[in-house]
Amino acid sequence: MSSVGTFQLVLPSFPSSSSSSFTNTTLSLRPLPFPTSPLQRHPHLNRNLQHFDAISLQHRSKSGRNFGSFPCFSALSPELKRTIDKVVTSEKVVLFMKGSKDFPQCGFSHTVVQILKSLNVHFETINILENELLRQGLKEYSSWPTFPQLYIDGEFFGGCDITVEAYKSGELQEVLEKAMCS
Amino acid sequence: MGVTKEQLESTLTSKLNPQHLEVTDTSGGCGASFVVDIVSEQFEGKRLLQRHRLVNAALEEEMKQIHALSIKKALTPQQWTQQQEESEKSKSAA
Repeated sequence: MSSVGTFQLVLPSFPSSSSSSFTNTTLSLRPLPFPTSPLQRHPHLNRNLQHFDAISLQHRSKSGRNFGSFPCFSALSPELKRTIDKVVTSEKVVLFMKGSKDFPQCGFSHTVVQILKSLNVHFETINILENELLRQGLKEYSSWPTFPQLYIDGEFFGGCDITVEAYKSGELQEVLEKAMCS
Repeated sequence: MGVTKEQLESTLTSKLNPQHLEVTDTSGGCGASFVVDIVSEQFEGKRLLQRHRLVNAALEEEMKQIHALSIKKALTPQQWTQQQEESEKSKSAA
Protein backbone atom coordinates (compact mmCIF):
# COMPACT_ATOMS: atom_id res chain seq x y z
CA MET A 1 0.00 0.00 0.00
CA SER A 2 1.14 3.50 -0.63
CA SER A 3 2.24 5.80 2.08
CA VAL A 4 -0.46 7.79 3.80
CA GLY A 5 1.67 10.89 3.98
CA THR A 6 1.97 11.55 0.28
CA PHE A 7 -1.56 10.39 -0.24
CA GLN A 8 -2.84 13.23 1.91
CA LEU A 9 -0.84 15.75 -0.01
CA VAL A 10 -2.87 15.27 -3.13
CA LEU A 11 -6.33 15.29 -1.60
CA PRO A 12 -8.52 17.68 -3.51
CA SER A 13 -10.67 20.22 -1.78
CA PHE A 14 -14.24 19.54 -0.81
CA PRO A 15 -17.34 21.49 -1.72
CA SER A 16 -17.77 24.29 0.77
CA SER A 17 -20.93 22.77 2.20
CA SER A 18 -18.81 20.42 4.24
CA SER A 19 -16.55 23.14 5.56
CA SER A 20 -17.47 22.46 9.16
CA SER A 21 -15.52 19.25 9.02
CA PHE A 22 -12.38 20.95 7.81
CA THR A 23 -10.23 20.30 10.79
CA ASN A 24 -7.75 17.85 9.36
CA THR A 25 -4.16 18.73 8.73
CA THR A 26 -4.34 18.32 4.99
CA LEU A 27 -6.32 21.49 4.56
CA SER A 28 -3.33 23.78 4.34
CA LEU A 29 -1.69 21.45 1.83
CA ARG A 30 -4.48 21.52 -0.68
CA PRO A 31 -2.92 22.00 -4.10
CA LEU A 32 -5.61 24.19 -5.57
CA PRO A 33 -8.90 25.67 -4.52
CA PHE A 34 -12.11 24.17 -5.75
CA PRO A 35 -13.33 25.58 -9.07
CA THR A 36 -15.04 28.82 -8.41
CA SER A 37 -16.44 31.81 -10.20
CA PRO A 38 -16.17 31.06 -13.93
CA LEU A 39 -17.76 27.68 -13.49
CA GLN A 40 -20.57 28.81 -11.27
CA ARG A 41 -21.99 30.57 -14.26
CA HIS A 42 -22.30 27.16 -15.87
CA PRO A 43 -24.17 24.89 -13.52
CA HIS A 44 -23.85 21.93 -15.84
CA LEU A 45 -20.08 22.04 -15.99
CA ASN A 46 -19.78 22.93 -12.37
CA ARG A 47 -21.88 19.97 -11.35
CA ASN A 48 -19.78 17.69 -13.49
CA LEU A 49 -16.55 18.95 -12.06
CA GLN A 50 -17.77 18.60 -8.48
CA HIS A 51 -18.87 15.15 -9.41
CA PHE A 52 -15.46 13.99 -10.44
CA ASP A 53 -13.69 15.55 -7.53
CA ALA A 54 -15.93 13.48 -5.32
CA ILE A 55 -15.52 10.40 -7.46
CA SER A 56 -11.79 10.53 -7.61
CA LEU A 57 -11.73 10.75 -3.85
CA GLN A 58 -13.77 7.60 -3.51
CA HIS A 59 -11.71 5.99 -6.18
CA ARG A 60 -8.51 6.72 -4.36
CA SER A 61 -9.65 5.61 -0.98
CA LYS A 62 -10.89 2.36 -2.45
CA SER A 63 -7.81 1.56 -4.43
CA GLY A 64 -5.40 3.13 -2.00
CA ARG A 65 -3.27 4.25 -4.91
CA ASN A 66 -0.88 7.05 -4.62
CA PHE A 67 -1.79 9.43 -7.38
CA GLY A 68 0.57 12.21 -6.51
CA SER A 69 4.08 10.93 -6.75
CA PHE A 70 4.20 7.87 -8.97
CA PRO A 71 5.40 8.75 -12.45
CA CYS A 72 3.26 6.03 -14.00
CA PHE A 73 -0.10 6.74 -12.41
CA SER A 74 -3.25 7.11 -14.42
CA ALA A 75 -5.06 10.35 -13.75
CA LEU A 76 -7.96 9.40 -15.95
CA SER A 77 -10.44 7.26 -14.06
CA PRO A 78 -13.43 5.89 -15.98
CA GLU A 79 -15.64 8.33 -14.06
CA LEU A 80 -13.48 11.29 -14.96
CA LYS A 81 -13.46 10.18 -18.57
CA ARG A 82 -17.26 10.09 -18.64
CA THR A 83 -17.41 13.53 -17.10
CA ILE A 84 -15.00 14.97 -19.66
CA ASP A 85 -17.07 13.28 -22.39
CA LYS A 86 -20.04 15.27 -21.13
CA VAL A 87 -18.16 18.52 -20.80
CA VAL A 88 -16.67 18.47 -24.31
CA THR A 89 -20.05 17.77 -25.85
CA SER A 90 -21.95 20.27 -23.71
CA GLU A 91 -21.02 23.06 -26.12
CA LYS A 92 -19.93 23.16 -29.75
CA VAL A 93 -16.65 24.79 -28.85
CA VAL A 94 -14.91 24.15 -25.56
CA LEU A 95 -11.49 25.50 -24.68
CA PHE A 96 -9.54 24.12 -21.75
CA MET A 97 -7.10 26.84 -20.89
CA LYS A 98 -4.96 28.52 -18.26
CA GLY A 99 -7.01 31.36 -16.85
CA SER A 100 -10.32 32.58 -18.16
CA LYS A 101 -11.63 34.04 -21.37
CA ASP A 102 -11.29 37.53 -19.93
CA PHE A 103 -8.06 36.91 -18.04
CA PRO A 104 -5.92 34.32 -19.81
CA GLN A 105 -2.93 33.40 -17.68
CA CYS A 106 -0.72 32.10 -20.43
CA GLY A 107 0.30 33.49 -23.80
CA PHE A 108 -0.73 30.39 -25.72
CA SER A 109 -4.16 30.33 -24.13
CA HIS A 110 -4.50 34.03 -24.84
CA THR A 111 -3.73 33.47 -28.51
CA VAL A 112 -6.46 30.86 -28.94
CA VAL A 113 -9.01 33.02 -27.10
CA GLN A 114 -8.18 35.92 -29.42
CA ILE A 115 -8.63 33.74 -32.50
CA LEU A 116 -11.98 32.40 -31.34
CA LYS A 117 -13.16 35.89 -30.39
CA SER A 118 -12.14 37.25 -33.76
CA LEU A 119 -14.20 34.55 -35.46
CA ASN A 120 -17.24 35.53 -33.44
CA VAL A 121 -18.02 32.02 -32.31
CA HIS A 122 -19.63 31.18 -29.03
CA PHE A 123 -17.21 29.18 -26.93
CA GLU A 124 -16.96 27.89 -23.42
CA THR A 125 -13.71 28.11 -21.48
CA ILE A 126 -12.64 26.02 -18.54
CA ASN A 127 -9.75 27.09 -16.37
CA ILE A 128 -7.64 24.02 -15.77
CA LEU A 129 -5.54 25.88 -13.19
CA GLU A 130 -8.50 25.58 -10.86
CA ASN A 131 -8.64 21.82 -10.92
CA GLU A 132 -5.48 19.76 -10.83
CA LEU A 133 -7.34 16.47 -11.36
CA LEU A 134 -9.00 17.75 -14.46
CA ARG A 135 -5.70 19.12 -15.70
CA GLN A 136 -3.90 15.80 -15.33
CA GLY A 137 -6.85 13.77 -16.57
CA LEU A 138 -7.23 15.87 -19.69
CA LYS A 139 -3.65 15.30 -20.74
CA GLU A 140 -4.48 11.61 -20.95
CA TYR A 141 -7.95 12.09 -22.33
CA SER A 142 -6.67 14.14 -25.26
CA SER A 143 -3.26 12.42 -25.45
CA TRP A 144 -1.93 15.93 -25.44
CA PRO A 145 0.67 17.13 -22.97
CA THR A 146 -0.03 20.84 -22.81
CA PHE A 147 -2.69 23.53 -22.61
CA PRO A 148 -4.67 25.13 -24.16
CA GLN A 149 -6.72 22.28 -25.65
CA LEU A 150 -9.45 23.13 -28.08
CA TYR A 151 -12.47 20.87 -28.58
CA ILE A 152 -14.85 21.36 -31.48
CA ASP A 153 -18.00 19.27 -31.69
CA GLY A 154 -16.72 16.96 -28.98
CA GLU A 155 -13.47 16.28 -30.80
CA PHE A 156 -9.98 17.36 -29.91
CA PHE A 157 -8.92 19.92 -32.49
CA GLY A 158 -5.47 20.85 -31.26
CA GLY A 159 -3.31 23.07 -29.13
CA CYS A 160 -2.16 26.61 -29.82
CA ASP A 161 0.16 25.96 -32.78
CA ILE A 162 -2.39 23.84 -34.62
CA THR A 163 -5.17 26.35 -34.00
CA VAL A 164 -3.00 29.19 -35.31
CA GLU A 165 -2.03 27.20 -38.42
CA ALA A 166 -5.63 26.16 -39.07
CA TYR A 167 -6.76 29.75 -38.60
CA LYS A 168 -4.24 30.98 -41.14
CA SER A 169 -5.16 28.31 -43.66
CA GLY A 170 -8.89 28.78 -43.19
CA GLU A 171 -9.39 25.23 -42.01
CA LEU A 172 -10.45 26.34 -38.54
CA GLN A 173 -13.18 28.52 -39.98
CA GLU A 174 -14.45 25.59 -42.05
CA VAL A 175 -14.48 23.19 -39.13
CA LEU A 176 -16.27 25.74 -36.97
CA GLU A 177 -18.85 26.45 -39.60
CA LYS A 178 -19.54 22.77 -40.01
CA ALA A 179 -19.84 22.36 -36.25
CA MET A 180 -22.26 25.26 -35.95
CA CYS A 181 -24.52 23.81 -38.64
CA SER A 182 -24.56 20.29 -37.26
CA MET B 1 17.20 20.54 -14.32
CA GLY B 2 15.50 21.06 -17.60
CA VAL B 3 16.25 19.66 -20.97
CA THR B 4 18.89 20.83 -23.40
CA LYS B 5 18.46 21.66 -27.04
CA GLU B 6 20.96 18.91 -27.83
CA GLN B 7 18.90 16.32 -25.95
CA LEU B 8 15.80 17.24 -27.90
CA GLU B 9 17.71 17.15 -31.15
CA SER B 10 19.15 13.71 -30.50
CA THR B 11 15.79 12.24 -29.42
CA LEU B 12 13.96 13.69 -32.41
CA THR B 13 16.72 12.60 -34.77
CA SER B 14 16.67 9.01 -33.56
CA LYS B 15 12.88 8.68 -33.46
CA LEU B 16 11.69 10.68 -36.46
CA ASN B 17 14.73 10.59 -38.71
CA PRO B 18 14.21 14.20 -39.80
CA GLN B 19 15.53 15.61 -43.01
CA HIS B 20 15.66 19.01 -41.44
CA LEU B 21 15.52 19.87 -37.77
CA GLU B 22 15.79 23.13 -35.94
CA VAL B 23 15.37 23.34 -32.19
CA THR B 24 15.46 26.73 -30.53
CA ASP B 25 15.68 27.16 -26.79
CA THR B 26 13.31 30.00 -25.96
CA SER B 27 13.46 29.53 -22.21
CA GLY B 28 16.30 31.95 -21.64
CA GLY B 29 18.43 29.21 -20.12
CA CYS B 30 16.20 27.14 -17.84
CA GLY B 31 15.49 24.56 -20.53
CA ALA B 32 11.73 24.52 -20.23
CA SER B 33 10.63 26.16 -23.44
CA PHE B 34 11.47 25.28 -27.02
CA VAL B 35 10.46 25.97 -30.58
CA VAL B 36 10.80 23.15 -33.08
CA ASP B 37 10.86 23.10 -36.88
CA ILE B 38 10.98 19.58 -38.20
CA VAL B 39 10.81 17.95 -41.61
CA SER B 40 10.31 14.20 -41.73
CA GLU B 41 9.08 11.57 -44.14
CA GLN B 42 7.06 10.11 -41.31
CA PHE B 43 4.66 13.05 -41.65
CA GLU B 44 3.65 11.93 -45.12
CA GLY B 45 -0.11 11.51 -45.42
CA LYS B 46 -0.71 12.76 -41.90
CA ARG B 47 -2.70 15.77 -40.79
CA LEU B 48 -1.13 18.45 -38.65
CA LEU B 49 -2.66 17.09 -35.46
CA GLN B 50 -1.22 13.65 -36.11
CA ARG B 51 2.17 15.15 -36.92
CA HIS B 52 2.19 17.06 -33.66
CA ARG B 53 1.17 13.90 -31.86
CA LEU B 54 4.17 12.11 -33.36
CA VAL B 55 6.51 14.80 -32.08
CA ASN B 56 4.87 14.85 -28.66
CA ALA B 57 5.09 11.08 -28.42
CA ALA B 58 8.75 11.08 -29.44
CA LEU B 59 9.45 13.60 -26.69
CA GLU B 60 7.29 11.94 -24.05
CA GLU B 61 10.10 11.73 -21.50
CA GLU B 62 11.39 15.22 -22.15
CA MET B 63 7.90 16.73 -22.04
CA LYS B 64 7.72 16.06 -18.33
CA GLN B 65 10.27 18.78 -17.82
CA ILE B 66 9.27 21.10 -20.61
CA HIS B 67 6.74 23.79 -19.96
CA ALA B 68 6.16 24.90 -23.52
CA LEU B 69 6.93 23.17 -26.77
CA SER B 70 5.91 25.06 -29.82
CA ILE B 71 5.99 23.13 -33.07
CA LYS B 72 6.19 25.86 -35.66
CA LYS B 73 6.72 23.62 -38.63
CA ALA B 74 6.03 19.94 -39.10
CA LEU B 75 6.46 19.31 -42.81
CA THR B 76 7.04 16.48 -45.20
CA PRO B 77 10.25 16.68 -47.27
CA GLN B 78 8.13 17.58 -50.30
CA GLN B 79 6.41 20.47 -48.54
CA TRP B 80 9.76 21.62 -47.20
CA THR B 81 11.33 21.75 -50.69
CA GLN B 82 8.27 23.56 -51.96
CA GLN B 83 8.45 26.16 -49.19
CA GLN B 84 12.14 26.73 -49.80
CA GLU B 85 11.59 27.20 -53.50
CA GLU B 86 8.84 29.70 -52.80
CA SER B 87 10.98 31.70 -50.42
CA GLU B 88 13.83 31.62 -52.96
CA LYS B 89 11.48 33.00 -55.56
CA SER B 90 10.19 35.78 -53.36
CA LYS B 91 13.77 36.67 -52.47
CA SER B 92 14.87 36.92 -56.07
CA ALA B 93 11.75 38.88 -56.93
CA ALA B 94 12.47 41.45 -54.24
